[in-house]
Amino acid sequence: MNIHVKTAIDYIRRTPFQALAATFVLAITFFVISVLSILVYSSGKLLKHFETRPQVIAFLIDESTPEQVAVLQSRLSNDSRIINVNYVTKEQALAIYKEATADNPLLSELVSPSIFPASLEFSLSDLSFAKAVIDETKKEAIVDSVGFTASLGTENSLGDVVERLRQLTFYIRVGGGVLAIVLAGTSFLVLVVIIGMRMTTRRGEVEILDLIGATPGFIRSPIIIEACLYALAGVFIGWLVTLLLTLYATPSLVAYFGEIPILPKTTGGILGLFGIILGFEIFAGLALALLGSMIAVSRVRAGR
Amino acid sequence: MIKVVSVSKRFGEVVALEDVTFEVEEGEFVFVMGPSGAGKTTLLRLLLREFKPEKGQIFFDKVDITKLRDKEIPSLRQKIGVVFQDYKLLPERTIRENIEVPLAVINVPQAEWTARVDTILKLVGLEKRSEMFPSQLSGGELQRVAMARALIVNPKLILADEPTGNLDWDTAEAIVELFEKINKEGKTVIMATHNRAIVDKIKNRVIELKEGKMLKARPKTEEQ
Repeated sequence: MNIHVKTAIDYIRRTPFQALAATFVLAITFFVISVLSILVYSSGKLLKHFETRPQVIAFLIDESTPEQVAVLQSRLSNDSRIINVNYVTKEQALAIYKEATADNPLLSELVSPSIFPASLEFSLSDLSFAKAVIDETKKEAIVDSVGFTASLGTENSLGDVVERLRQLTFYIRVGGGVLAIVLAGTSFLVLVVIIGMRMTTRRGEVEILDLIGATPGFIRSPIIIEACLYALAGVFIGWLVTLLLTLYATPSLVAYFGEIPILPKTTGGILGLFGIILGFEIFAGLALALLGSMIAVSRVRAGR
Repeated sequence: MIKVVSVSKRFGEVVALEDVTFEVEEGEFVFVMGPSGAGKTTLLRLLLREFKPEKGQIFFDKVDITKLRDKEIPSLRQKIGVVFQDYKLLPERTIRENIEVPLAVINVPQAEWTARVDTILKLVGLEKRSEMFPSQLSGGELQRVAMARALIVNPKLILADEPTGNLDWDTAEAIVELFEKINKEGKTVIMATHNRAIVDKIKNRVIELKEGKMLKARPKTEEQ
C-alpha cells in the first residue's frame, strides 16, 4: 500500500471520533444535497408537466375551413413562444367530453358532436407570454373565444397563476440551493477544523519529516488523502440513504402524482439519475476536501 | 565539502554564533565541542538550513546554502543524514517504518526498501528489533535507529547533535564507535558534543566553541 494512504488510514484509525464527526457532517450535507437534487429534478418535471400540457385553447367558429385552420395552426407553430400546437376536431372534443363524464352516461347521451367547437390547443414556452399570446389569438378571424386552463389552487386570474408557479420554482431551486451552500460551507469549516487539529497534533512529525528533507507535498499528502476519504465516505453514505429512501417512497409518490412523471418510471432510470447525482457529489466532495485540507495545512504552516 | 565563512547568528539580543569560520573536507570526522549554549546546535541547524545566518556564507559542495530558495531546501536535506540527541523518531511507527520514511521521501521504489532496511539494521545491530516500536527500545537502541534512519539514504554528510547526550558511558562509546565505522566507510561526520571524554578518546579534529565564538580548530592528533 502507498505510504501516504497507509499513513492516512492510520490517522483515521487512531482518532475514530474525529473521523466519525467529519464523516457524519459530510454525510448529512450530501444527504440534503441528494434530496435537494431529487426535489429539483421532480419539481422540474412537475413544472414541465404543467408548462407542456395544453394551456391555451382557441375555440374555432363553425364556419372555419380546414385551410384556414391549417394556416392558423402553422402560424402558431412557428411562434417561438408557443409549443405543441394540436388541432382537436368536433368529434375528438365529444370523445374527450364523454371520457370526462364517464361516471354519468346520461350527460353524454344528451350531446352530439355539433355542439362542440373544434379547437387549437397549445402550450407556452413561458407562462409570462400567456397574456400577450391570448390577446393576439383572440383577434384571429376564425377564433371564437380563447380559454386558459393553467390553474393551481384557488387563483382566478392569469397573473395569479404565473406568480404562483414562479414562487414555487423560486422556493425549490433558489431556496434549496442556498440550503445546500450553507450546509456545504458548514462541512467545509468542519473539515478545515478537523484537518487543522490533525496538523497541530502532527506538528512533531511534520518537523521531523521537514528535517529529513520531506517536501511540503510529501508532508501534506496523507492529510489531503484523509480529507478525501472523509468526503468520499460522507458522499456515499448521504447518497445511499437518499437512494434507499427514494426507492422506499417511490410507490407512494407515483400513486399520489399519478400521470405526472416526477421520478423516472423504471428502476434503471432511477439508478441512472442517482448515478449522475453520485458523480456530481464525488466531484463536489473531493473539491471540498482538497480545498479544505489545503487551507487548513497552509494556515497551520503559516502559524509555525 | 563544507566551508563556513564568517558566520554570525543572533536570536534577538542573544549572540548564538559570532564570526565562525572553518572547513571540513570530504571523509573527515570532526567534533564541534563546547558547553551548553556555546552555539553547537545553532551551527548544525545552520548547516541544515533551518534558518539563515545574519552574516557570512555556508558552502556545501561549493553551493552557498544561505542563498537557497525554500523549495530547494528539501533536496539539500536529502543529502544530509541527521542524528539528534532526542532521536526524533516517529513514535507510532515501527523501527522498520521509521527507517523507511527517508526512502519514501527520496522516492526509492518500494520493492527495494526491505533489502536496504535489512542491511542497515544489520549494520547498527538491530535486525531483531525491526517490528518493535520506539517506546519498546532503550536509549542506545533508539540512537542506533536514528543513525540507521540517517544512513539509509546513503548521505554524503552525517550531522550528529549530541548523539550521546542521553546515554551512559558504555552505550555512548558504542555509538561513537559506530560513527567511526561509518566514517571509515567514507562518510563525512560532524558531531556536536559537550563530552570531552569522547573527544579525547577519538582524538579527531575539534572545532571548539564558547559563547558563540570559535576558540580554536584543534587538528587531528598525530597518533590518528
